[in-house]
Amino acid sequence: MISQCINGRSRIFFSLLLTLCVWGILGFADRPAGQIQAQVNNLVSDAFDYANPRMVKVYGASAGRVEGYATGFLVSADGLVLTTQGVFLDGNQVRVLTSDGTEHRASVIRRDRERQLALLKINVLDATYFSLDDEDLGEKGDWIIAISNAFKVADKEEPLSATLGVISLRTTMEARLNRRDVAYKGKLILIDPITSNPGAAGGVIVTLQGKLVGMIGKIINSSDTNTRLNYAVPTSLLKRFVLNESVPKISKVEDLPEVELGIRVFAHGGRTGPAYIDRIRRGTPAYRARLKPDDLIISIGGEKIGSVKEYERALRNLVVGQEVIIVVKRGVELIRQPITPMEKK
Amino acid sequence: MNLMSSFGWICFGLITGLLCAQSSDSGEGPAEDSLRTMMLTSKAVRAAVESFQPSLVTIESFGGMSAVQGRIGGIRKQGEGNTTGVIVSPDGHIVTSTFNFIQRPPVITVITHDGVRHVAELLGRDDTRKICMLKINAGRMFRPPPMIATEQVTVGQWAISIGVGYGDVNPAASVGIISAKDRVGGRAIQTDANISPANYGGPLLDIKGRMLGICVPMNPQSQAIGAGVEWYDSGIGFAIPLAGSEELLKRLQQGEQIAPAFLGVRAMQNPNGKGVWIEQVVPGSPADESGISKKDVIIQINQEKIQDMMQLKKVLNRFEAGTRIDMTFTSGETGQSKKIQLKLGRVPTPEGETKPLEVPKIR
Repeated sequence: MISQCINGRSRIFFSLLLTLCVWGILGFADRPAGQIQAQVNNLVSDAFDYANPRMVKVYGASAGRVEGYATGFLVSADGLVLTTQGVFLDGNQVRVLTSDGTEHRASVIRRDRERQLALLKINVLDATYFSLDDEDLGEKGDWIIAISNAFKVADKEEPLSATLGVISLRTTMEARLNRRDVAYKGKLILIDPITSNPGAAGGVIVTLQGKLVGMIGKIINSSDTNTRLNYAVPTSLLKRFVLNESVPKISKVEDLPEVELGIRVFAHGGRTGPAYIDRIRRGTPAYRARLKPDDLIISIGGEKIGSVKEYERALRNLVVGQEVIIVVKRGVELIRQPITPMEKK
Repeated sequence: MNLMSSFGWICFGLITGLLCAQSSDSGEGPAEDSLRTMMLTSKAVRAAVESFQPSLVTIESFGGMSAVQGRIGGIRKQGEGNTTGVIVSPDGHIVTSTFNFIQRPPVITVITHDGVRHVAELLGRDDTRKICMLKINAGRMFRPPPMIATEQVTVGQWAISIGVGYGDVNPAASVGIISAKDRVGGRAIQTDANISPANYGGPLLDIKGRMLGICVPMNPQSQAIGAGVEWYDSGIGFAIPLAGSEELLKRLQQGEQIAPAFLGVRAMQNPNGKGVWIEQVVPGSPADESGISKKDVIIQINQEKIQDMMQLKKVLNRFEAGTRIDMTFTSGETGQSKKIQLKLGRVPTPEGETKPLEVPKIR
């Protein structure tokens, strides 16, 4: 009806407009899938382009099966480099390759075996670097890019390798010091890109905007899962190391008096057997807590007691006079009791 | 009048066109846009994990077998930490992975989301799916998590694995995609999210927090209890969907022990054509009892023609011990085809192996 009433020229004009209109709508509808995908690619590559010039390849001495290389990154314009602590720094020469492929002799300024960190210095002027913030960035589920020279894949000026993933969990080492072979108290970022590979330690974890989240830690095995951990040391902890501020160290328990609860555990199943109570001595903390033979010790002070071995370990961490909660299983019931350890006679 | 209306149309077209053109140029620019999209995904991941947490439990094991040279019964040593499980019924049934009990702990406890610890009883297990059922008496009701059926799952969609194996009560999450469906005899879905002892027994979620399956170690080539753990965090991970498996869950609640199917033949590719040539028959096995002997050639199971060894394994993998199957084979002596019905058995346990999960007698 409309086309009937308009002349040829306006009809062409009209159809042209309609085409324009449809094109516009199609273009709009197409946007989320195609364009955003391309934009995400750009986002990651922008973050990488920001990070890569701030990163270095570190080469030291290799000893036996321990690889003699790692990744590192600049934290000051005058050439302070953060990397991982390792025997590769023990050699008489540590070489650092900046992103342009230039080789520098590095001096080791500080090493920290507790945090497994090392600070190196190279002679450069006006280098681009990562600034270390006090505030920790990123939470569970946030996208991160892990950048490192795992397996020494990149050589000379070749850019490092990037992997996309998320933060799995922000947790602390504190509770399970004995169970893992990193010996610092404090925060830790578990991540889901696989970084537990030779040479990846000392690499960085950055946000999609290229901001530093943490430094990739060295290869360690979690005794909780008997698997390799993929983790990073958060920026705030790195900053304290660079500023030479100390972190709380693991307290040595040897100096403390030995404690006793008055429990003899059933040891027939060996030290990996469950910690069943065999005997209770009169007048002891366990007696006062009304524990009974055949009770199974489930936890002490919030720490799970899975075996006789773990019971012995937990006992060493108790303090005389300091009340803790002990949980035992009696039949199908769980019983919670406060218990105050006494000094061993 | 008519001209006016066509003019109106033109105006409408012009304005719409302009609007469209503008909307694709305006806004905060492409970088901010995509950043927002990515951040929304992260937010969705967090929401999915949080919404699921009331159904997530921490499992503690006490005692059990000790490792010999880092291995337990030939399997890579299990960690010392806690493991993960999922509540599947209002009255406290929990599904987890059999891997979490390879040390055969005599005592198992479960900590629910509210922080309360309960003594758990181990009910049935399904060794073809590497899952088992626990029961707690919490004196309260639970809300089982929403589950999504595999038919509604598409390859490429987001998948989130969560677990408490790293020791924190707060679960660790890994994000990936669904890599494939109908794996391992149609029992599992495959994902590239990290699957490891840190989340075996935990759920694989979709972006809305609905459960896609239970994370388990799996290796299509082997049905050994620990098989698949060697692929932990490798980008090849498996989960067992439970949506629509009420029948299976019921069997596990009743304490049934579902075992992989065992035929009892050693075979090789038929050198004279299609089918599988029998090299050896295990005495007393289902194959032996139904009259299959050396040099016979298996050519069909149920409706499926057996072309080679791979296919025989794959077809047998679909069944469990106790399933009745129709098998067609050509006799090695007479050359005649014969169709028989046989009942698949259990893999015989080597002598000296400990019985599963028995409470040791103290005193």
